[in-house]
Amino acid sequence: MTTLTAGGADAGRAGSALNRRPARPRTWWKPVLVLAIVVGATAWASAAVGTDPSALWRNGHNAVNTLTQLFQPDYSFFPQTLDALGETVQMAVIGTAIGVAISLPLSFLASRATNPERISYRVVRFVMNVVRAVPDLLYASIFVTVIGTGALSGIVALVLFNLGIMVKLISEALDGIDRGGQQAALASGSTWFGANRVAVLPEISPAFLSQTIYVLELNIRASTVIGLVGAGGLGMLIDKVRTFYEYHYLALIIFEILVLVLALDLLSSYVRSKVVR
Amino acid sequence: MNERPDAARIRFDNASVTYPGGQAGLKNVNLAIEPGEFVAVVGLSGAGKSTLVRTINGLVPISGGEITVGEHRLRGLSGKRLRALRGEVGMIFQGFNLAKRTTVLNNVLMGRLHASPTWRTLIGAWRADDVELAMQALERVEIVQKAYVSASDLSGGQQQRVAIARTLAQKPKIILADEPVASLDPPTSHVVMRDLQRINQELGITVIVNLHFLDLARRYGTRLIGLRAGEVVYDGTAADADESVFEAIYGRSLTADDVLDARPVELS
Repeated sequence: MTTLTAGGADAGRAGSALNRRPARPRTWWKPVLVLAIVVGATAWASAAVGTDPSALWRNGHNAVNTLTQLFQPDYSFFPQTLDALGETVQMAVIGTAIGVAISLPLSFLASRATNPERISYRVVRFVMNVVRAVPDLLYASIFVTVIGTGALSGIVALVLFNLGIMVKLISEALDGIDRGGQQAALASGSTWFGANRVAVLPEISPAFLSQTIYVLELNIRASTVIGLVGAGGLGMLIDKVRTFYEYHYLALIIFEILVLVLALDLLSSYVRSKVVR
Repeated sequence: MNERPDAARIRFDNASVTYPGGQAGLKNVNLAIEPGEFVAVVGLSGAGKSTLVRTINGLVPISGGEITVGEHRLRGLSGKRLRALRGEVGMIFQGFNLAKRTTVLNNVLMGRLHASPTWRTLIGAWRADDVELAMQALERVEIVQKAYVSASDLSGGQQQRVAIARTLAQKPKIILADEPVASLDPPTSHVVMRDLQRINQELGITVIVNLHFLDLARRYGTRLIGLRAGEVVYDGTAADADESVFEAIYGRSLTADDVLDARPVELS
């Protein structure tokens, strides 16, 4: 494909020239180069960080002792974890609900397919990139400092964490949808808002529901971790029992998180199978 | 519908379209289309059929000359006034362009968006009148029993009839159809073309349709416009368009590929 005139001239004396087999492209060096870069980067990183794998062996006897306790959860502790367990689930549910609700209009602003207006598109994308760049644990630390320890800090941290993820996932899903209905609505005199609401929202809603459940799952896990810095829930309890080396209790809490996440995973795959066809 | 006969007159005055990169879509087109006409636009692919039809509702902006639709002047038209024009002009696409994951009724109601306030659109509270209008439109294309079915569960022909109902719900003065039957089999093509014919005759709506197949153009169009390389090379009645006219449009004699060549299905 050079210029149109050259193409036309070639087509004229076609025949044998067009029917010749092309030489096989030489591409073997590409995977070799990629492998070399990956190996080189790994070697450089481990040398720089100064990892010492032998430490794993030297501290072995400590690990055995702790691990033995971790495999013997103390179930009598269960009633005392219920409050924290409930708080973790509540934080995750509230954080998901608020974050997801705010993320829907922002996602439409952050996709070229649904927002023709350049400035608001750029602003929302930029702000969301910043929001996403901050880890959830850092948000939790900030809000524990500003608002104080407890579930509220955790919820605010989760909302921002969810915004970052949801806007990213949903705006990318919007970029890839079938825009036929939207085009028809615009051609009939609708505003972009009307076309997006009526023609695009139904196309995106299965993905939106599915990502919401995924985010809820992430939030259960995240809300246990952000508790470690004082943002409420099971994390705060983990911090407490760990300080007193009560590994039997810790084992029970980890086990509870495991069950919770697995149950949510089952629920989420069930709901997804129902909504995404 | 025709309280003002001039409301749907379309005039092309030296209208030109130049695509980015310098490629010409239309060259100095002059046309006058009267309300109530059924115009078939024919030509090879790349001749500018699609461009011609899409300039009328501003989907393709003109770069030279002027197009007038009713009282709207299209040069530089944008925003609210462009939407007002588009509200009066329905469009049917080759790929049907339905929102697949919602109901047939919701798709038809999309034709009412231009007249629906934002708050109603936001919460999906359509006016009862609009729903009634949508149902009547579905009745006219004989597909009302599918009103609450998901659009993705319909066949191609059914989807195109829903798309026709969507334009009818707009209460348009003009319907544009860009290759409406190119994705359909021959019998279904005739069903869709007859729907358009009926709408034109019974409601007096101007219909402008791009067609690839000459026999369809001649059979359904009352007026035929032939395009070649962005220029109008024939403009006359469909009846007068004989073999030599088609050779002028296509630049070669006709082949079997240029006709749909199917007997229309008999509807009792």
